[in-house]
Amino acid sequence: MATMDKINDLYARKQKAALGGGEDRIKKQHESGKKTARERIQMLMDPNSFVEIDAFVETRSTEFDMPKKKALGDGVVTGYGTVNGRLVFVASQDFTVIGGSLGEMHAKKITKVMDMAMKMGAPFISINDSGGARIEEGIDALSGFGEIFYRNTIASGVIPQISVIMGPCAGGAVYSPAITDFIFMVEKTSQMFITGPQVIKAVTGEDVTFEQLGGAETHNSLSGVAHFKSATEEECIRDIKRLLSFIPDNNLSDSELVNTSDDVNRVIAELNTIVPDDANKPYNMKQVITSVVDNNDFLEIQEGFARNIIIGFGRINGRTIGIIANQPQVNAGVLDVDSSDKAARFVRFCDAFNIPVVTFTDVPGYLPGVEQEHSGIIRHGAKLLYAFSEATVPKINVIIRKAYGGAYIAMNSKHLGADMVFAWPTAEIAVMGPDGAANIIFRKDIANSDDPVNFRAEKIQEYRDKFSNPYIAAARGYVNDVIEPAKTRIHLAAALEMLTSKRETRPSKKHGNIPL
Amino acid sequence: MRKFLINVNGNQYEVEVEEVGAVHTAAPVAPVAAPAAPAPTPAPAAAPAPALKTEAPKPAAAPAASAPAGAVKVNAPIPGTILDIKVNQGDQVKCGDILLILEAMKMENEILAPQDGTIASIHVSKGSSVNSGDLLVSMNG
Repeated sequence: MATMDKINDLYARKQKAALGGGEDRIKKQHESGKKTARERIQMLMDPNSFVEIDAFVETRSTEFDMPKKKALGDGVVTGYGTVNGRLVFVASQDFTVIGGSLGEMHAKKITKVMDMAMKMGAPFISINDSGGARIEEGIDALSGFGEIFYRNTIASGVIPQISVIMGPCAGGAVYSPAITDFIFMVEKTSQMFITGPQVIKAVTGEDVTFEQLGGAETHNSLSGVAHFKSATEEECIRDIKRLLSFIPDNNLSDSELVNTSDDVNRVIAELNTIVPDDANKPYNMKQVITSVVDNNDFLEIQEGFARNIIIGFGRINGRTIGIIANQPQVNAGVLDVDSSDKAARFVRFCDAFNIPVVTFTDVPGYLPGVEQEHSGIIRHGAKLLYAFSEATVPKINVIIRKAYGGAYIAMNSKHLGADMVFAWPTAEIAVMGPDGAANIIFRKDIANSDDPVNFRAEKIQEYRDKFSNPYIAAARGYVNDVIEPAKTRIHLAAALEMLTSKRETRPSKKHGNIPL
Repeated sequence: MRKFLINVNGNQYEVEVEEVGAVHTAAPVAPVAAPAAPAPTPAPAAAPAPALKTEAPKPAAAPAASAPAGAVKVNAPIPGTILDIKVNQGDQVKCGDILLILEAMKMENEILAPQDGTIASIHVSKGSSVNSGDLLVSMNG
C-alpha cells in the first residue's frame, strides 16, 4: 500500500469510528430525543478543544456474536478538552454501539481517562447512556464496573467528579454516579434504578413506570440521588458549565477568582425587614441568600429534595462560597434525616475542595416524631455535626432567627469550630423555644397557679424577653458580633477576606469514622 | 353521641362528639365502602381550649376513607395542627396558591397547591392534628 493510501485508510477508519453504531442507530438516537455521545461532548467542550483518545479500541470478546457486533471505540468516547478554558476529562457512552453496554475494553477506556484526570488534577465528567453490563463479556464486564467504582472512590475529594445521566443507567452502573460528587439528570430521557419495573413487578407485584421509578423528577425530589434536573440536554450541559465555574480543578487549587462588578460594601436595605415581627411566620430564605451573593448569582443544588434546607454555591467578592441555609418556608426549616444528609455531604464537598462555608441559620430544632426516630435521625443528624466539625475551610455562620438546642449546635456553631458567628438582632439563641422552656422550667408553678393559662403565657413572655435574643450568646463570645441585617454582605466579605489564609490541621489519621 | 373529658392545661372540658353523617357528599363517586367506621376519636387536646363546648369538632381522621378523592393528593409534610384552611371544595387554584396553614414546630407552614386544579375534597378541619403523610386536600388537576 502506498503511503498516500495508508493515510487515506487512516481517515476512512477514523470516519468509521466517528459513526459509532452507524447512521441508522444515530437516527434512532435522535428520534428518541437524545443526542449522540460525540454531540454531547461537542456541546460541553470549547469549540475544537476536544481530543479523543482510544478511538480504535475494540472488544476482545469472541463469544456469542460479539465479533459481528463490535465497533471501533467499543461504545464509549473518551478524551480531554477545555470548558471555558479549563482542562476536563470526559467519558461519554455511545448508546448506538451495542446499547452503550459496558464491556472489558469499554471500561478500560473509562478508567484510563479517570487515571489521567487524577494525574493532571482536572475534573472528570462521565456521561452515562448505557444498557448496563455487556452480558456477553461476563465477569470481564463486572471487573470493568468494579475498577470504575474503585477509581471513583480513590478520586473522591481529589478531583471533582460529575456524572451526567442522559439515558438509562441501571443495575450496578448506578454506583459510579452515586460515588461521584454531582449527578445531573435530564427529564424524560434519563433513568436510574437498581432493578427495573419488570423485575419489581415480578418480585413485589408493584406497578411502576420507568419515569416514576427512577426518572429525573423522582431522584431530584424523592430519593435525593440526583443533584440537578434539566428539561433538555442543552440545558443540562449549560448547568454543568455553570457548576464548573464555581468549583476548583482539584483539592490543591482554589476556585477561580471572578471579577465582580458587585460592590462588597453594598447595603441591602430589604434584609432589615425580611424577618417578620411574628416569630411564627415564615419568610423565604432564598431571598436572603440571593441578595447577599455577588450579582444575586446563586446556584442551588438539590433544589427539589429536602427543601427545608438550602445548599448551593455563590460568590462574595468574586470568591466561591458554599452556602447552607435553613428554609423556614418549608417544614419550618427543621433538621430531619434527609436535610441532615443533604447538608452534611455538601459541607464535605466544600471542605474537600477548599470552598469556604457560609451558613444562614433559622432552625427550630430537629423534627420530632416516631418516624424520624426510627429512620435514625440520631445517626443522620450526627453527620451534620461531624461534617461541620471536621471541616477546616473557613466557616462562617449568620444566625438570622431561631437557633435552638441541638440544631443550634449542629448548624455551624462556634462550638463546632466556626471561625466567625454573626447574629442578626432578630436571633433567638437558646436551649429551646420559649413555649417549651417555660413549660418545663415553670411546670410546677403553672400547675399550682390559679390561672394556669395566663400564668403560663406570662412565663413564656418572661423567658422570651430574657433569653430569646443574641446577646446572651454574644456575652459569652459564642456570637462574635450582632450585625444589622442590611450590612450582612459587608461583614461576610470582610470575614472571608480575613480567612483566606486560614490554616488549621487535624491530628494525622487514616480517616475518621463519620456515622453513615 | 359520645362524651369525652378533655384536660387542657389543667382545665377539664366536657366534650360531646357527634359523627356528622355525610360530611363529604360532594361528588357521587364510589359508594362508601366500609360500614360506619368505629366512632372516630376526636382530635386530641390540640383544639382551642375555651370555646370547646359550642360545636362538636368534626372527626379529623375518619373521612379519609370515604371522601371522594381527586387525583392529586396533598399530604402533610410534617406533623402539626391545621391552623387555617384557605380554600373550599370546588375552588379553582393555581400552582403555588396557599391551600392551608399547618402549624408545626411553632411555625405557620404554608401548604401550597402543587399544580393548577380544582379542590376535590378537604380532609381536615381547623384545629385537627395531622401526622406527616396524612392526606390534607385532594385536587383534580
